[in-house]
Amino acid sequence: MVTLVIGGAASGKSEFAESLVLQMGTLPRWYIATMQPFDDECRERIRRHRKMRVEKQFETIECFTGLEKVTIPEKGVVLLECMSNLTANELYSPDGAGAHTMEAISRGIDHLIQQCTDLIIVSNEVFSGGTDYQGDTLHYLRTLAAVNRMLASKADRVYEIVCGIPVCHKGEERKG
Amino acid sequence: MVFITGPLFSGKKSTAKSLMHWDDTMLEQNAVWDVEQMVSGCSDLEKLADRLAEKQVVIASEIGGGVVPVDPEQRAQREAAGRLSCLLAQRADTVIRVFCGIPTVLKGEIRL
Repeated sequence: MVTLVIGGAASGKSEFAESLVLQMGTLPRWYIATMQPFDDECRERIRRHRKMRVEKQFETIECFTGLEKVTIPEKGVVLLECMSNLTANELYSPDGAGAHTMEAISRGIDHLIQQCTDLIIVSNEVFSGGTDYQGDTLHYLRTLAAVNRMLASKADRVYEIVCGIPVCHKGEERKG
Repeated sequence: MVFITGPLFSGKKSTAKSLMHWDDTMLEQNAVWDVEQMVSGCSDLEKLADRLAEKQVVIASEIGGGVVPVDPEQRAQREAAGRLSCLLAQRADTVIRVFCGIPTVLKGEIRL
């Protein structure tokens, strides 16, 4: 089963996504981390999160670009966080997919689905703060929005997290 | 009138087309979008909403979800855009919010 969890900054999306993984009870648990360690603040954040996840029996696989090249060592649950990082990496890293970011991520997701029992993807909602964007920001937003819509169409379940509360847009729990 | 709202680039026009079985030409003739941009310099939002509501479909992006803009003009525009969306929702038989390409009916009854 594929689940998309999406929400704004500090909305509780990571906690909810982790809780979905823990509820499933399946082992092993893989965490695909997408944040590139640019400075000490990043490295410290990564170290802290990695330690928290070890306690929850997650093993971390780093992927900054090229999701379609990731090999999951043993079939289990995969938590991929966060699509906003991966999209930025693909768009702007020298070894990223550039103009083909959406297609590359789409193929990467298909590739992951084949290697896991369940896939949970975390992404960011950054599209309700205005429309007046230009240049790289506009291009990034367009791409991330296309990635999010692609993920939502592939997913069996889509949750929007609002103040820590999951609102189900797609799947069995959807109301109406 | 059907009022469609949702975040930027969430698939609002595609939703309108598939809901109404329209192509791009039909959409252009029977719908109006980016209406949140029409509020700048508008002195009568009620009148604007009345005029827009003559279309079959009216589409607006949600823009009130970010930090309050420092610039007074942008602040006023954001306020007016939010108010306009409320007025359009009142006039609409059906209100749909599109999130990540997925429509949810907030008002009225329609088969999606």
